[in-house]
Amino acid sequence: MTQDSPSSAAASAAPVRFSPRRVWTLAYATMTQLMRMKILPFLLVFCALVALIGVGGSSVVNPEQQLSSFKSMSLGVLQIFSIVFGIVATALLLPKDLEDRTLYTILSKPVPRFDYVLGKLLGVLMLIASGLVIIDAVLSLILWTQQSGLYDAYLFQLHQTKQDTPEAIAQVREIVARQGLTWNLHWAVWAIFLKASVVTTVALLLSCLASSTLFTIVITFCVTIIGHGEALIREFVFQPHLGSTTKRIATLVLAAICPDLAQFDIVDSVANGEIVPWAAVYDMTGIAALYMTVYLFITHLVFVEKEL
Amino acid sequence: MSDTPAVSVNHLTKVFKGGLGKGAFRAVHDLSIEVKAGEVYGLIGPNGSGKSTTMKVILGLLKPTEGDTSIFGVPSTEVASRHSVGFLPENPYFYKHLTGRETLHFYGSLCGMRGEKLKSRASEMLALTGLEDAAARRVGGYSKGMLQRLGLAQALIHEPRLLVLDEPTAGVDPSGSRIIRDLIIEFRSRGITVLVTSHLLEQMQEVCDRVGIMARGRMVREGRLEDLIAVENQTEMVLENASPALLAKIHELVKSEGGDTRLLRSGHPRTTLERLFIEATNEAKKP
Repeated sequence: MTQDSPSSAAASAAPVRFSPRRVWTLAYATMTQLMRMKILPFLLVFCALVALIGVGGSSVVNPEQQLSSFKSMSLGVLQIFSIVFGIVATALLLPKDLEDRTLYTILSKPVPRFDYVLGKLLGVLMLIASGLVIIDAVLSLILWTQQSGLYDAYLFQLHQTKQDTPEAIAQVREIVARQGLTWNLHWAVWAIFLKASVVTTVALLLSCLASSTLFTIVITFCVTIIGHGEALIREFVFQPHLGSTTKRIATLVLAAICPDLAQFDIVDSVANGEIVPWAAVYDMTGIAALYMTVYLFITHLVFVEKEL
Repeated sequence: MSDTPAVSVNHLTKVFKGGLGKGAFRAVHDLSIEVKAGEVYGLIGPNGSGKSTTMKVILGLLKPTEGDTSIFGVPSTEVASRHSVGFLPENPYFYKHLTGRETLHFYGSLCGMRGEKLKSRASEMLALTGLEDAAARRVGGYSKGMLQRLGLAQALIHEPRLLVLDEPTAGVDPSGSRIIRDLIIEFRSRGITVLVTSHLLEQMQEVCDRVGIMARGRMVREGRLEDLIAVENQTEMVLENASPALLAKIHELVKSEGGDTRLLRSGHPRTTLERLFIEATNEAKKP
């Protein structure tokens, strides 16, 4: 048991530094806490839904359209799922820890508040990432199965109508290869993760500012909606004839506060079979990292001063 | 023990800003306390007297409006001060999905403990708080008394020199409460300083060396418990197997003494209801 030794006295005065291990402990606890909130069954239901969409739409009309609409629908649902999960989970975490006084027992240990905030954020992001990896694997499998089936079925159709010329077959192969399983699908999932990460960081910041979960959820959704329309806002700001100076300044402030989420919108391009260049992936990743760093820094400034 | 006080509170004032249309609220006003290393100090007072606010400032969870606090000489505003302190909040909750042992591992990891040291320390704390049998059970199924004991175990996991306990026996049944008080006495014997708040005065009387009484954010009385509760002009004498004749003689002797000396009462001392409860429930547990 504890004694008043010189070594312990020296240890007590040693400053507490950032510890990745401590952050990992908090992140892992957060992830398991969220897993307990029955997220996994929800995820499985989602996967089953996507599988149903994939299987249900297997009649051959136009392979390009069919594969495109499958990707568009499933990636769209995935995007909504990851954003909603990120916002709601983050908005719930801090108030719950405060209500249960778990926050008191954690922060009365030698735990810097930044470590706590970062641990919570990483916990949510780890779970989103895990979910997306699972769904990405399921999507890939469905898409691969669907593209093979569609290719064979369409070839059979061409053969039946006596249109199976080498050119027609090559065209079908090219369409199916472009619209089928490619790296583009994974980049789209990566972009969805980046967007969800930025939105989750915004939710964390708002959660530190607000005392109400509902407020955090509503405002973060508003920020997300505004974030998708940044291009329109910029257009308004830089067009003097469109509004008064006051309105334009207010809009500029809004544009500065909200992240430009349209930067991560590559789902439509992927659904249309366009190639996502590496440069675009780097850009998206860099932009997301920048947004997250800035929002996390502000979150730290707010949370370190927060009275608990 | 060193001369550095375990807890030092200097002219602490804490004002909470009011919301829209509400004025500011002064929870603590110019409070000064010094808790010596190794003692059990009780901070008592009615609800809203500022006890919990004072504790939160000491733990760095709240910032003082004026004044300062320190733990073993390290300002509470520094995270490093938390190396020396373990905290049990009122009615603590833990992550329900973790078992008792996992909970202690979680808190130990936060303090930088790992490996065998953490495992053996967690086992030691589970044994100390009597939770060995429940160590593998999920915390969600723990009773209130078990949660309090787990709270004590997590507070002690990193071998702090100071324990801060906020209403440690609130809502706990008499047996659980007895265990917690025995643990506090045990901590003192091991050299751990304890700062405890409660409004269960009889329980505080049993464990505290010194007490401070707070009301409306101010310290209204402070000192050694014995000094504060002693009735200077009265003397208590408890006899065992005294015959009626002896008692009559004592009565006569007091009468014959004259002056201001008076025998105020005599009779059989009573056990406390709590002791009776514990005896009765323990008997029921026996096969």
